[in-house]
Amino acid sequence: MKKEKKYQVIWIIVMSLASLVMLVPIIMMFMTSFKTMAEIQSPVFHLLPEKFSLDNYRDAMTTGNWLVYFKNSLVITLTAVILSLLFNSIAGYAFARLRFRGAKIMFLFLMVGLMMPPQVTMLPTFLIMAQFPFAGGNNLFGTGGTGLINTYAGLVIPLVSGSYGVFLCKQFYENFPRSLDEAAEIDGANKWRTYFTIYLPNSKAILATLGLLKAVAVWNDYMWPLIMTNSENMRTVQLALTMFKTDSGIMWNQMMAGSVLVALPMFVLFLCAQRYFIQGIVTSGLK
Amino acid sequence: MNKSTSTKKRKNRYDGCAYVMIFPAYFIFTIFILVPIAVVFYYSITNFNMYTTPELVGLKNYINLFTDEDFLISIKNTLFYSIFTLFPQLALGLFVAVLLYRKSKLLPLFRTAFYIPNVMSMVCISMVWLWIFDPTFGVLNLILKTFGASTKMWLQDPDMAMFCVILMSIWKSCGYSMVIFLSGLTSIPDSLYEAASLDGGSAIQKFWYITWPMLRPTTFFLLVTGIVNSFSVFEQVNIMTNGGPLKRTTTIVHQIYRRGFLEFKMGYASAMSVILLAFSILVTILIFKYGSGGQDVDVS
Repeated sequence: MKKEKKYQVIWIIVMSLASLVMLVPIIMMFMTSFKTMAEIQSPVFHLLPEKFSLDNYRDAMTTGNWLVYFKNSLVITLTAVILSLLFNSIAGYAFARLRFRGAKIMFLFLMVGLMMPPQVTMLPTFLIMAQFPFAGGNNLFGTGGTGLINTYAGLVIPLVSGSYGVFLCKQFYENFPRSLDEAAEIDGANKWRTYFTIYLPNSKAILATLGLLKAVAVWNDYMWPLIMTNSENMRTVQLALTMFKTDSGIMWNQMMAGSVLVALPMFVLFLCAQRYFIQGIVTSGLK
Repeated sequence: MNKSTSTKKRKNRYDGCAYVMIFPAYFIFTIFILVPIAVVFYYSITNFNMYTTPELVGLKNYINLFTDEDFLISIKNTLFYSIFTLFPQLALGLFVAVLLYRKSKLLPLFRTAFYIPNVMSMVCISMVWLWIFDPTFGVLNLILKTFGASTKMWLQDPDMAMFCVILMSIWKSCGYSMVIFLSGLTSIPDSLYEAASLDGGSAIQKFWYITWPMLRPTTFFLLVTGIVNSFSVFEQVNIMTNGGPLKRTTTIVHQIYRRGFLEFKMGYASAMSVILLAFSILVTILIFKYGSGGQDVDVS
């Protein structure tokens, strides 16, 4: 028993040290965000800043139009999360509970999306968006205008797709008791009503998980906004962050302050809803 | 009476509204996953450049690819990155998961610490590491100086740049593998370990004969998704090094981005995308064929 206790103490010490090592870059980012440029350039390294001043945050947020960048990222993230949850869960319900011709093959086909990294299709997807008929001054054949480039629609729609979401919702709904459907049918509810009044309200756990994973993925996305936008009005926070890196030297303190602010929403989201996060990651690994 | 119920039943066998329900998800999937795959094959045999109408050029793009030094280097770099990121990251994730797996109230706390780099964006992380690696103001060189060691150029040194990118990527993603391995460990029944203890098995034997084989499906999953993801590495390269110095860190997707979106050689970049797609599919098939030995381990 005594030996067990000793192991426990050693375990706590070792794991605390390991966690600390993992967190060092993040702690340093946080500390540097309060330092002055002179402190950063000093030849001796101090972890703690001389004083915790918010000047860097003020300066970082006044270079460029950060209010617009945050608004863009927020709009894109919220729309993508809401639409993907609605579309994917209703498709998951159909695949789990309804009988229709070709259901099996269509579902298998959908799973191709699980294996496809977005980088492989970024170029053709971009071309499709640029040549989208009747958008951004395009004619029926997708020429003459800019299509969906530099629009919210262009930024959001490709991010709504989610084979993984459909897969997970299908799994989740298959575990619902069949008697629920039968009860609904006896009450005269059609499939739509069954979904909206029984299935949807009872799937908070899975929707929270999927929504969180989607929110982090969309908020953190860099590649798609990079190729889909070129105007400052449509810039997202991730793109704006890279603007601190110019050829004429980098204001490290402002860059770190910006990084903290951009990372903060996802940190808070993760810490508040860890349970759902871990659940989602784990189910994705155990399919 | 009997007949009418049976016809009613038959009528109910198929739910037509299912097609409407799956339509939005399927439509987006078709337009943004399936159609692009077809489109990229088509453009790869044209000389499309965004301004003129595309003309068919046959396999010219592909032939050019294999004499394009930048592209050949990018393939080499991508393979190098994949091997040296994936295996250390999996090993580290497994190692930490095995260490961490213990009945303790502190476990979620440690798990969070390891997972947190994963919820940060690649942009944020690249910025932080860009500063850490900075030759003049970076913390790494400051620490080296404090101990009187000679400083390094890190990301600006052609021989070290890729290792710096790899180090950062391992740091970011090992928490993900750890969480997945941890859940894999939870599903191994305690009775197996108890039986091994009764037989006098050592900790190493227990790992080798119980933990490792029982984790085969988990490892397999991480390997497949990891390879496909590391083949498409782009963000950290574009932000931290832009493929330099001396093209030592340029990757396949970085080349696609440069040729396609900066030089507008869409046809040529499409051919690269096809090669990347083929690579990803080939490796996945190979792993499924030769690596699925673990599938017969029944986790129950």
